[in-house]
Amino acid sequence: MSEPLDLGLRAQATAIAAGELDPGELLDAALARIEQRNPALNAVVETFPERSREMLAAAPEGPLRGVPLVIKDEWPLPWRAQRFGAAELMAPTAPGESGPYRALRDAGATIVGVGNMHELGAGSTGAISYYGAAHNPWNIERCPGGSSSGPAASVAGGLVAGAVGADGLGSVRFPAAYCGLTGLKPTFGRSAMEGHHMAALTSLIVSGPLCADAADCRLLASVLYGSELAAGDAAGLRIGVVRDAVSEDVTPEQAAACSGAIEALVAETGGELREIELPNLEAATLAAILIINSEDMSGATPEKLNRLSPELSPIARGTLKYRMLLPAAATAQAQRVRTLMRRRLAGLFADVDVIAWPTIPAPAPPLEAPLVELPSGTHSADQANVRGAALANLTGIPAISAPVGLSGDGLPLALQLQAAWGADELLLDAAEALERANGRRWVDAAPPVSAPTEA
Amino acid sequence: MTESAAPGEDFIPAGLAALGIEADETDLAVMAAFHALLWPPLTELLALDTADVEPEHCPDLSRGPE
Repeated sequence: MSEPLDLGLRAQATAIAAGELDPGELLDAALARIEQRNPALNAVVETFPERSREMLAAAPEGPLRGVPLVIKDEWPLPWRAQRFGAAELMAPTAPGESGPYRALRDAGATIVGVGNMHELGAGSTGAISYYGAAHNPWNIERCPGGSSSGPAASVAGGLVAGAVGADGLGSVRFPAAYCGLTGLKPTFGRSAMEGHHMAALTSLIVSGPLCADAADCRLLASVLYGSELAAGDAAGLRIGVVRDAVSEDVTPEQAAACSGAIEALVAETGGELREIELPNLEAATLAAILIINSEDMSGATPEKLNRLSPELSPIARGTLKYRMLLPAAATAQAQRVRTLMRRRLAGLFADVDVIAWPTIPAPAPPLEAPLVELPSGTHSADQANVRGAALANLTGIPAISAPVGLSGDGLPLALQLQAAWGADELLLDAAEALERANGRRWVDAAPPVSAPTEA
Repeated sequence: MTESAAPGEDFIPAGLAALGIEADETDLAVMAAFHALLWPPLTELLALDTADVEPEHCPDLSRGPE
């Protein structure tokens, strides 16, 4: 057996269940690996070995018994309130049993650490955090993706085999794409959300798994959903593609990798490719931004904004204040656009099973300057990334990001598939078909593991 | 109004003053940059004719529209 910690999620769970792997030793190995590699990655912002050992000692015979996992700093734990990657939140937080915590505990998993995240969940790069930026295991000078930066860097860096993130505007899919992982954004409302500081307010955010491959995501998602996601074969998959900026204003390498992956998926499933039209994607992106801004600011007051922590980043301070100025009419219009896009998608999903386009327009940019060079020019990564992700959050549909190649400088490239409401299982089936089609080349690819830096 | 519109130098200070929100130079620079990015598409969004879009009553986002 290779290093047990380097096994995938289901392989770890299977080995423990078969008595071939001691979960106590696995936990110790995970803690040691975090100590060794985390100084270079800054993926995990807190460990709590005694709590982890208590979880393990009390672990029931669930599907993840004894498997160490990381959870994003977006969820409270009984011994720790979430910080949301920030010095201050607009909403109150407190330690508690969040839905994802209960799901993991009841499945027998061991939470070994809290994953870093982009400050306030408000970025696609992971470059800004109260804890300092997380780093991409494929190149520690590059962004790991956000906002679930730490969960992704933890899995890609081999600290754990699975992690729980959250996705409000692509925050599972971007880091999955940048770090060469598979990341699932569930249908709205299917995965555990209780205890999140915006659970009662949000109409966009969901919890979701980040793992090496689709089968591991299926296992962790089944735990987060509270019901098993049955496997199928995606036979005869009808794939819709859009000839629009979201699929064409991307780097040539990303375009080629995604085109090749789509062709391979058609061949593997005996499916077919259909060109579809999906107008008003730009309006849909802005609509999602406006709605999440309005939901996020529901606890904000001028008085709070006048007393913001000086430890918040200048970008957070400025954008929080700016959000108070957005016209209510724009948010009302955003809701109309949401309805418009939901109806359009309902019509499209009568003709196609999935819609495919690149998860990200370019691979991970430098942490120092998160800009991407696209055919249309130079853009901030946040501005460019969000246009491919927002539709799923706006409308509630599920989406998955799967690795489909490496750029010339060794950074992961990724394809996104989106399906109709409730068709999360089909996305996992399609991602598994894609893995078969490319011989698991990209899900099994391992990043160069960075040596710990000296303190 | 010019096409570059985004008259942040008026809109932002006026809006902050109306709400009693304080801002220093750094805040204002960040807000101006955000405004320049967001405002043009926001005006396009507001101009979109959605009169014939029948609103969904309490949409259930876990399902398709009725």
